[in-house]
Amino acid sequence: MKIEEIQRIKDEALRELRALRSLSDLENFKVKFLGKKGSITQALREIKGLPLEERKKTGAELNQLRQYLEDELESKKRELLFLEEDKPLDIDITLPGRRPLYGGVHPLAKVIDELCEVFTPLGFEVVTGPEIESEYYNFTALNIPEWHPARDMQATFYLQSGALLRTHTSPIQIRAMLARKPPLRIIAPGKVYRCDADVRHSPMFHQVEGLMVDREVSFSDLKGVLSYFAREVFGEGTRLRFRPSYFPFTEPSLEMDIGCVICGGEGCRVCSNTGWIEILGAGMVHPEVLRAVNYDPEQWQGFAFGLGVERIAMLKYGIDDIRLFFENHLYFLESFK
Amino acid sequence: MRVPITWLAEFIDLRDTPEKIAEILTLAGHEVEEIFDPYRKLGEIVSVKILEVLRPEDLREVCLCKVTDGKEVYTVLTTAIDQVKSGQVVAFAKPGSMTFDHRRIETKVVKGYESKGSFVSPFEAGVSEIKDRLLIFSEETEIGKSIYDLLQIKEPVLEVAITPNRGDLLSIYGITRELHLITGWDLKVLSLDKEKLPLISYPGRIEIQDTDGCYRYAGRYLRGVKVGESPFFVLKRLFLCGQRPINNIVDITNYVLLELGQPLHAFDWNKIRGGEILIRRANPQEKLTLLDGREIELHEKDLVIADREEALVLAGIMGGESSGVSESTEEIFLESAWFNPKRIRLSGQRHRITTESSYRFERKVDPEGIPLALKRATELILALMPNIEVSEIVDQYPCPYQPPSIDINLRKIHKILGFELGREKIDSFLFKLGEVKCEGEAYSIRPFSYRQDLSLPEDLVEEIARLYGYDQIPTTFPKATIFSARPRSDLIFNKKVKEILRAFGFYETINYSFINPGSIEALNLNPTDRRLDVIRLTNPISHSLSVMRTTLLPGLLETARFNIHREVENLRIFEVGKVFYPAKDLAEEREFLGLLLMGDMVKTPWEGKKRPLDLFDLKGVLEAMSLAMKLPLQLRPGSEEPFLKAGQSFDIYLEGKRVGYAGAMKKLIIEDFDLKEPLFVAELDLEVLVEPYFRAQKNITVNKPPKYPSTFRDITCVMEKNIPFEAIEKFLLNLKLPYLEKVDLVALYEGEPIPQGHKSISLRFWYRAEDHTLRDEEVEKIHEDIAKGLFDHFRAKPR
Repeated sequence: MKIEEIQRIKDEALRELRALRSLSDLENFKVKFLGKKGSITQALREIKGLPLEERKKTGAELNQLRQYLEDELESKKRELLFLEEDKPLDIDITLPGRRPLYGGVHPLAKVIDELCEVFTPLGFEVVTGPEIESEYYNFTALNIPEWHPARDMQATFYLQSGALLRTHTSPIQIRAMLARKPPLRIIAPGKVYRCDADVRHSPMFHQVEGLMVDREVSFSDLKGVLSYFAREVFGEGTRLRFRPSYFPFTEPSLEMDIGCVICGGEGCRVCSNTGWIEILGAGMVHPEVLRAVNYDPEQWQGFAFGLGVERIAMLKYGIDDIRLFFENHLYFLESFK
Repeated sequence: MRVPITWLAEFIDLRDTPEKIAEILTLAGHEVEEIFDPYRKLGEIVSVKILEVLRPEDLREVCLCKVTDGKEVYTVLTTAIDQVKSGQVVAFAKPGSMTFDHRRIETKVVKGYESKGSFVSPFEAGVSEIKDRLLIFSEETEIGKSIYDLLQIKEPVLEVAITPNRGDLLSIYGITRELHLITGWDLKVLSLDKEKLPLISYPGRIEIQDTDGCYRYAGRYLRGVKVGESPFFVLKRLFLCGQRPINNIVDITNYVLLELGQPLHAFDWNKIRGGEILIRRANPQEKLTLLDGREIELHEKDLVIADREEALVLAGIMGGESSGVSESTEEIFLESAWFNPKRIRLSGQRHRITTESSYRFERKVDPEGIPLALKRATELILALMPNIEVSEIVDQYPCPYQPPSIDINLRKIHKILGFELGREKIDSFLFKLGEVKCEGEAYSIRPFSYRQDLSLPEDLVEEIARLYGYDQIPTTFPKATIFSARPRSDLIFNKKVKEILRAFGFYETINYSFINPGSIEALNLNPTDRRLDVIRLTNPISHSLSVMRTTLLPGLLETARFNIHREVENLRIFEVGKVFYPAKDLAEEREFLGLLLMGDMVKTPWEGKKRPLDLFDLKGVLEAMSLAMKLPLQLRPGSEEPFLKAGQSFDIYLEGKRVGYAGAMKKLIIEDFDLKEPLFVAELDLEVLVEPYFRAQKNITVNKPPKYPSTFRDITCVMEKNIPFEAIEKFLLNLKLPYLEKVDLVALYEGEPIPQGHKSISLRFWYRAEDHTLRDEEVEKIHEDIAKGLFDHFRAKPR
């Protein structure tokens, strides 16, 4: 075997190596050059006839070539195997996947949780109370005696037993104060009932009641806490307005409006063209209410507030019909996850 | 309350626009809900041009006009034959509109001629008292425009929400007084102290017999009145305030009520037998026919105005039919009184009547304003009928009003408000509210008689804050005692349950607490079942929302029905909410969890794998819930619930107590609810789970990664089909074998070649030792024992 012959094999092998495109090319190449009858194997066998010096040199060269080709083949093979895995499957992978089911909480429950979470870091304790209440807790203890015209503000469902469905979450104030010693801070969500039903009213809806009693809690503090609350729920830039109002169980009383989130204050149907939307009622706990739970009004004072959950949810999510909350249609529920 | 701006202007120097006045009132706590113009609410009353006047021969006293508003042509019949001619521009009320005197304009057909709309007189348009001719404009007037725009009539009216504590604001004069208090605008004080006319003596007798019901009763007698229509200015103001006119006397009493807030009542003097007026409690079973024609049976606690024989008026609420002023009345008695607000309210509630009068009495009228209202009414009547004779005012006032004396000091004011307000400011505010005595930092205030809402120091603090302006008050954060409370365990637990179900693909629903009684009856419950003993509402919105739920099922089924009728057939929902049972004290309320699954188990659609839900979908949810909560809920087959299929249901037990049920609902019941199979439900009492849940969280066994390998052996055997898997599990559990870690069910087969009535079951037993790798012979030994035990116990054969 001549040197030129070896050079030729070498050149050929390197050229073909570059041209390898598939695993079968690779197999053929292996057979052709490195197999038992491959040209390099053959050549290694044939150099036996050469003089020692030349044999040594050529043999080393051929072995080197063989090693080189084997290494190259190995890496080429990995490369091709990788490519092999990139080949598209015989399936349309744009088809939908197998989705694990995931449900959702009701939007009202979600809003209630959010509202409570604004107050719990301030040390407010979440409490609840019965939905079937007595006249005493729902009205009388809240400074609304039987003959009081303020009872007109809340159309009440009565039960045959003489009990009633609570018309607001305020009776929880009374129950919480009786069960605890001042100072106290509570936040009380729950269902309430009033006998009217239309697009804007539902006979059952939800309120969240807050109450704080301490030695020095003032009307200015009430404004501070409510402002903090409104900005936590409706965003930092929310405009606020405080108006005097009347509730028999608070004095002084107020109502808080936020700048209409629908029209930005320009005036629209939702805010009756006033640019403001009423969000909650609040006030300093009336001394008669403190007396009803045996708290000394000279020592303790505090504030209470109550807000409508549906109203806040409607504003937050742009919902225009309160009935949607209680129809529970899946499409509606799916919106909130 | 409706407040016409032009009426306000009579008593106060208004220095701002209606919009601004509305804002001032709103920010002072009297929310203005709307500003509107009652004239614009009449409908379309516009200028039209008469195109043609036709006089068909078959029409005698009317002619037919073709008119246009520039867009459409209308044909109108009119009796004003001599007034109309073509080319004229006249006022025209379109069909659907309403005239000032409450006539609804409609399309009529007379002898086959259609008349759409109507020409109106200045009176019908509400612009003047002229009734005998049409409202005609000059011929160059623009057509199709509102006549009120053309005449530049603007009557803005504020709809003000007056809170129940401020009865003093239920009048025009009251509102002006309040505006004066807030803005300082000049008030034209209404004073009628001196009546310059000869008064005759009062010809009758008045006696307050029930001094608890009536605090003050004043009245006077008028002779020679002529009952008829009210003058235009009275009619217009009643119209602006949304009241219908009756006759001049009644209208004037209503006018004074609106103006001063003091209800008045006019009697026909001749109907008062013996000229004797008694203010007394009603007699038992006494009857009275009211002005609206309704006959009521009075209650002993009702206060009535009576003559010597019978009740004439339900005091402060509504007059009687027989003693009212009629066309023929010539002598009247005018009443102005101050009744006990509580008595009026309770009486009104008893008979379900609220009137403009009772509304004001309930909210406290000004005791010192009683004679003023009488004088004002007299003045108005005299202006119409200058020649009548008027008696002196008889005023029974046994216990004159004593305003409370409210003590307050600066420290208290600052403590409630949370900031210091200058002394001068406070002084200036307090002096506007009543008579003030001041000693050092202490004040003593006797509020004006019309401010009966003020009785406590806190009321005065609100007035100070209100007059200062709520928006001016600083916002601070409380200086409070530090403490914090741990969230209540039941609330944490409820949240956990919701989280788990959500992760299983369930949606939370909220259903009404009141349900249709029929929906419980439809559940086929045993007659003694507690759930049939429902709490009923006495005044439900409707029958379908009339009883408190004793189970969450009806609500969930109703939601399912709502969904299935609106394209949702596959549903997994739950509700956490209360059910209500009668109890001695109010009610027993329990928090329940309800689950409902309906429709198909949907897998990826392109795999074509969709199958109807079955019992194991429900069971799996409950088992997974039980694992997630670490609560060993036990599902005992064959629920006792009569609405479930006994063979496809469970009663749920925890620690030996029944806590709920689960299963497939009976088809017949599902169909009653307009739903279809498959439909599965479950309901659990959450309250009994709370304590075991928290207990279970404390006992957590921690598993570590295995140190030594496990090994398994399978047993496949054939046994009788009716041996429940639960029995096999129980048997294996009782064996208490060493190294046995768990047993899995790997295959279950029935059919050829397994003989009829038998099943083939394959179990895989996993073995592991904590301290060494198990040798084959160790395992074999145990496993053979198990196999033998299993075969013997269940008479099974290896396969």
